[in-house]
Amino acid sequence: MKATRVFQLTALALVVVSAVQVGWWLFDQHAYTVEKVSAARTAYTEQVAAAQALLDSGAAPARVQQLLPGIAISTGHASLAPALAEALTTEEHRRYRQYAWEGSFFLLALAACIAVIARALREEARVREQQDSFLALVSHQFKTPLASLQLSLETLALRAPSPEAARPLIDRMLADLARMEQMVTQILESARLERGRVDLKSEPLQLAGAVARVTAQLEERARQEPISISVDIPSTLTVVSDPLALDVVVRNVLENALAAVRSAGGGRITLSARASEREVELLVRDSGVGFAPAESARLFQKFSRLRSGASGYYGTGLGLYIVRRLMELADGRVSAQSDGPGKGASVRLIWPAALMSAAAPPQPAAGQETRP
Amino acid sequence: MTAAPPTHVLVVEDDPHLAAGVMENLRAEGYEVTVSPDGERALDWLARHGCALVILDVMLPGADGLSVCRTLRARGNTTPVLFLTARGDPADRVRGLEAGGDDYLAKPFHLQEFLLRVRAILRRWDWYRSASATSATAVLRFGGNEVDFRAFRARAWNGEPQELTEKEAMILKVLAEHTGQIVSREDLLERVWGYDVFPSTRTVDNFILRLRKRFEKDPGNPRHFLTVWGVGYRFLAEGEP
Repeated sequence: MKATRVFQLTALALVVVSAVQVGWWLFDQHAYTVEKVSAARTAYTEQVAAAQALLDSGAAPARVQQLLPGIAISTGHASLAPALAEALTTEEHRRYRQYAWEGSFFLLALAACIAVIARALREEARVREQQDSFLALVSHQFKTPLASLQLSLETLALRAPSPEAARPLIDRMLADLARMEQMVTQILESARLERGRVDLKSEPLQLAGAVARVTAQLEERARQEPISISVDIPSTLTVVSDPLALDVVVRNVLENALAAVRSAGGGRITLSARASEREVELLVRDSGVGFAPAESARLFQKFSRLRSGASGYYGTGLGLYIVRRLMELADGRVSAQSDGPGKGASVRLIWPAALMSAAAPPQPAAGQETRP
Repeated sequence: MTAAPPTHVLVVEDDPHLAAGVMENLRAEGYEVTVSPDGERALDWLARHGCALVILDVMLPGADGLSVCRTLRARGNTTPVLFLTARGDPADRVRGLEAGGDDYLAKPFHLQEFLLRVRAILRRWDWYRSASATSATAVLRFGGNEVDFRAFRARAWNGEPQELTEKEAMILKVLAEHTGQIVSREDLLERVWGYDVFPSTRTVDNFILRLRKRFEKDPGNPRHFLTVWGVGYRFLAEGEP
């Protein structure tokens, strides 16, 4: 890592020095051309003057012409032969063009090199910063369930409770393990999405089925909080997505809503959906802690944790990032909206609708055929 | 534990499992426990109730633990604070103690160590309170200075009022209890902070410098807070002749 950086910085320094040298060469070439052309002009001017002096002293024009071949004489007046004057100008322009082309080509190439190296350095710094904050966040997020797990285990060891008294401790430990497992899953999912190592299918899927599967998993936890989840999704709505990705998207958005409502001390989550000609929209509204409207775009960035947001009981700062990436891969979109902290929030997921032209008109039976 | 009313502990922790685990264990040890899931609610509660100890998570939603502790101290609340945090490197520890914390425990922690530290903090404060209980021990007068240990206030020799931090008051109390005797830096650390909290005994030196600035006529040439080179400090109420 460090050696690469030293190499990059050395290369950057060399390229900058080369650019300065090319710049100097350009300047030098220009000065040289100007000097030479002006010297030639002075020499010719002197020849014209000499020819005129010879003519004035009575020398035969033919003799003068023979002595000074570059001079044209007409009616006793000496001047520079037009062909020579033109050749001089042409040569001057040719030289200008030559070094201007060569020089600017090299300068452009060097500028491109500088841009590439600077970009790599900046990117590396950004990645390093992101890795640091990722490590800090992940270690914090892991240490909390780990601390809870250790506390429960040491409580069991220290106090040797009766089986009934031990039950809630064991439940807590299992939930802590589940939390850590979910974090590992999210970290792996986001790493795979980051590297583009995903092979997503595009199939028509019944939205209500996916939502029902996810809410069934979360209902028990929601009831304990207490959080009510109400779902109103027509079973005819079909979206085009990957079956696993659809479940992950719905689960992450719901987990996020649960955390927001839990931080507000309980409340309500409602899921509703509607379809237009080309799109299907799922709206997840919660009565949770909400967020400042200006933060809505930041929500979907990697490792973003909002100051005014949920306590992040389950949060790795990756959940909504995964949602955004998966929605992009499914040609869909996602956005979040809140009127401010304490005022709840809503997340809008939009998928392309399944084309029904080839298939039979939408009917409930077709929708029930959901993938595992 | 004392037979009198149970010692009340406030636990400020946003993770419900950890909060429940800490609460159950403290209750099993005979403490009365209140749990708060965030800093704002904890500060609200503390404005209306008193307790013997606050166990404060550093990473909280909204205001973090450090700022909660600073707010508490700015309000003149001297309740001891034990920080719990996922970040345990020395710089974080110092930050926590600078914010006014009494002790610092990194997650994940051992239950027995946690209980030991809770007991140690409460014991130090019990000592301080009982050592400042009578009107004779509540006030210390030396060299024109007057220190009120119960109110954490003092009036310096030049008439300037001084607000003492609890650590300054505790150090002064330990030194005053041993007037004329040498007290080592390690003893001061042990009595005021407990074990292994601070990375170095230099911290004690900084606190002595602060006390000199507050109470010595010429802090550069102290007459009450004397350094015994290589050992520690000696307090003289009369002033060095």
